[in-house]
Amino acid sequence: MTSMHPTFAVVGHPNKGKSSIVSTLAFDDSVQISDTPGTTTKKRSFPLTVDGKVLYELFDTPGFQRARRVLAWLEKHEVPASKKHEVVLAFIEAHKDDERFNDEVQLLEPIMAGAGIIYVVDGSKPYGEEYEAEMEILRWTGQPSMALINHIGESDYSQEWKRALGHYFKMVRTFNPMLATFSQHLLLLESMAQLKEEWIAPVNHSIDLFKAYHEQMFERSANAIAKLMYKSLSHVEQFALTQDDASKEEREQIEERYQVVLRGLEQTSQKQIEQIWNHHHLEKEQESLTFEGVDLFSKESASLFGLTRKELLITGATGGAMTGAGIDLMFGGGTFLLGSTIGAVLGGSSAFFGFNELSDVKVLGKSLGTNYLEMGPMKNINFAYILLNRTLFHTTKIASHSHALREIVQLKMGRTFTEKWMDDTLRKSLEKYHTLFRSKDEVKAEVLSEYEVLIKDVLKHLID
Amino acid sequence: MNLKNYIDFYALLQSHKPSREENRAFGLEIEDVNYSPFKQILLWVQKYEGRLKKPLLSQQIGSYLYGLTLTLAILAFLLGLFSGMGLLSYSGHEPVNVIYFLAMVVLLPLLTMILTFFSMLKAGSSHSFLVHISPAFWMERVLQLLPKKVQHTLKELPLTPQLTNWMLIKRSQLLALLFSLGLLVSLLGMVTTKDIAFAWSTTLQVSPQEFHSYLLSIAFAWRDLFPWAVPSLELIEQSQYFRLGENLDMSMIQNASKLGEWWKFLAFTTLFYAIFLRFTLWLFTQWGFRYALLKSFLSLEGSTTLLREMNEPIISTASPKEEQLFTSHEKQYGMQIAKLNSSYDVTLGWAMSSSELTVLNDTMQVTSKDVFEVGGANSLSEDSAIIAKSQGNVLFYVKSWEPPTMDFVDFLEELVIQVEHVTLTPRGTSNEKYIATQKELEMWGRKLETLHLKKVWLKI
Repeated sequence: MTSMHPTFAVVGHPNKGKSSIVSTLAFDDSVQISDTPGTTTKKRSFPLTVDGKVLYELFDTPGFQRARRVLAWLEKHEVPASKKHEVVLAFIEAHKDDERFNDEVQLLEPIMAGAGIIYVVDGSKPYGEEYEAEMEILRWTGQPSMALINHIGESDYSQEWKRALGHYFKMVRTFNPMLATFSQHLLLLESMAQLKEEWIAPVNHSIDLFKAYHEQMFERSANAIAKLMYKSLSHVEQFALTQDDASKEEREQIEERYQVVLRGLEQTSQKQIEQIWNHHHLEKEQESLTFEGVDLFSKESASLFGLTRKELLITGATGGAMTGAGIDLMFGGGTFLLGSTIGAVLGGSSAFFGFNELSDVKVLGKSLGTNYLEMGPMKNINFAYILLNRTLFHTTKIASHSHALREIVQLKMGRTFTEKWMDDTLRKSLEKYHTLFRSKDEVKAEVLSEYEVLIKDVLKHLID
Repeated sequence: MNLKNYIDFYALLQSHKPSREENRAFGLEIEDVNYSPFKQILLWVQKYEGRLKKPLLSQQIGSYLYGLTLTLAILAFLLGLFSGMGLLSYSGHEPVNVIYFLAMVVLLPLLTMILTFFSMLKAGSSHSFLVHISPAFWMERVLQLLPKKVQHTLKELPLTPQLTNWMLIKRSQLLALLFSLGLLVSLLGMVTTKDIAFAWSTTLQVSPQEFHSYLLSIAFAWRDLFPWAVPSLELIEQSQYFRLGENLDMSMIQNASKLGEWWKFLAFTTLFYAIFLRFTLWLFTQWGFRYALLKSFLSLEGSTTLLREMNEPIISTASPKEEQLFTSHEKQYGMQIAKLNSSYDVTLGWAMSSSELTVLNDTMQVTSKDVFEVGGANSLSEDSAIIAKSQGNVLFYVKSWEPPTMDFVDFLEELVIQVEHVTLTPRGTSNEKYIATQKELEMWGRKLETLHLKKVWLKI
């Protein structure tokens, strides 16, 4: 049965990077990639779906194992070219339960169901005659096909490959899944669309969606970074004190807790960004966030009815002034604001001097006041840029990291990274928001959105 | 839209969040309201609130806040009532000075309304001292000293300072309104149950004419519609009172019945300044609270993600099926040799030409009686014929970079039946000077390890 949407089967000799290509094209790092032949034993579908509707489908397939035997079986049937595909179908039917031809059946099934063929070879190794049986089998299927030269190693034999492949395929393209950029990815999709005229429109639609998807990734990353920055810079760690003065241990404890929270926020954000860019299995090595040179100060504080001494003083003074103003008004202003002044002084000084006494008062066993040790919001101006630099570097690395790569990602930021994205104007714009984050005031959603836009622009500049 | 929806929304985001697919499906269901994120959220809350555990957090907090507001409202009303009774207390010896009452129903409401207005402007600030001086703030703080489990939950709620401030401002207006109602009730009650003689008295040099013009200004809102509710100049003149000598003016005593007429003016003043204006302000604070609530909905952690999930199509490129885990054999192949013999009975090359094999033998300083190319472009029958011709010690070259396919394995298994000894020699490309890399040798070793062929040695 043929599919309504375009389908493509990525086929080839074992270990030529089929899974790497699929992994890159599908943004999926769950594909097993190994230098051991036979890692892929079953065909695996990678559909591009939008709200569950499949737009196109890629198939990762096992490599050819007994190509000569298959070809021998096919060639036993002397049929005109128009009937050759029927022979291939007959082969699948005859061998679907034969373990020996499992791999060939797996790779031929999607092709015979209508998939376009993407034949993958390694352009860094010389061409060999053993490939010809495979290409001949693919010719028997009668399906549209193209060849893709992958470069696993450093040597370049692509010219001899192109000459050989040209005999079997109308279209030969080069694609390195480890280094391919997003635009190269889209170019390859455009080439794939050329295999069949009726695939051009749906694949082009898919390309538009990919662009939208890519944009979504930028937006979501910027959102995660903005949240990290806001939460980290505004975080306040509080520690209830049992005694009037904080001990050295308590000060050390709050500093440690503060640092743990900030590191935790960074890790959560990094994980989130990795998920956004579909790197679910990524392993990385990175120096943890340090606070060297960032002076962290803890301060003892007290509150009464939820108000600090300063807030209570202002409240007392304002309340007193207002009461005094009432008296001034009653005298028709003849008191020359004496009432307000006396009220403010009385209210303010009562609140200030009565703070400690009132704090000790117990109602139903509960003290009216609370003593605590407090650390944050972050006062150090540079910390924001240390954190932002780290997170931008991480995002840039992750966004550009091929889904085909399996080695541990080394996140070592060079000294010049900041120069790549920041100038004085941008620093000023960022600082405006960082100052707001550091204040204890509420940051409105629209302000965070503005900051997000700024971060998104930086990310686009760095990644695109 | 109310606080209940907000708390339900918060609770759903915290612990009962549907999957991205469910959210997108619902987003498509309500596509006609996607112009309003807020409506989308409300409909989402309505759809999923059934998932929340009973009793709902919103119900717990709602009933606590209702109880708190009711207690404070009763206290405010009683305070107003008793303040009014105090202000209007009349023993029959001295008339009641209307200036105190006027201060309470005009000056105090105007002053507090101005403060409210400024606190509304600063409602977004987390340290709004204008909110802190509100009596409602302090009454609430005192009541919070009572031990109640829900207070802890309330503290955990992510209420933005803007929302908290508007809640307080709104409640303050309600309490002030009830306080004023208490004043009005006490006025009406006192007027009905007692024969109060009202007068006015001040140390300031204010003539009855000036006082009349003040009162006319105060009564600007109703003086044309209800002129009988504005004291006449004559009444003002008759009700001016000086306490010196504690003797009442004779004209006052003669016009005692007229002095009671002040109550209409006082009632209208209370109705307009303390009740109508306060009610208007209360309505305005309702709007402010709704606005703050709306903002809070959209700034709640997780709401942006939810809206995104509802409105953005789910684009997926990953495979829906998990791949079968492949486990490779890391064991090193035991039958390895480091040096080739000087001569072999047969030299075979998998997918290599005879000329290539000759060059290789020369390079390795190996001689061989027969040299055959196998695999590659050979047919299967040609390969079988070569196997039949092979015997003794076989040197078998393979391309180190090409993984051993089952086609090769089939050939090797057939070959070992026929010969005594096979030395499998992976060789690199000419660019690599025919030297296989360690990784490639390991790959060949792993494959041979799985085949268990006793006659095959791997040249490393």
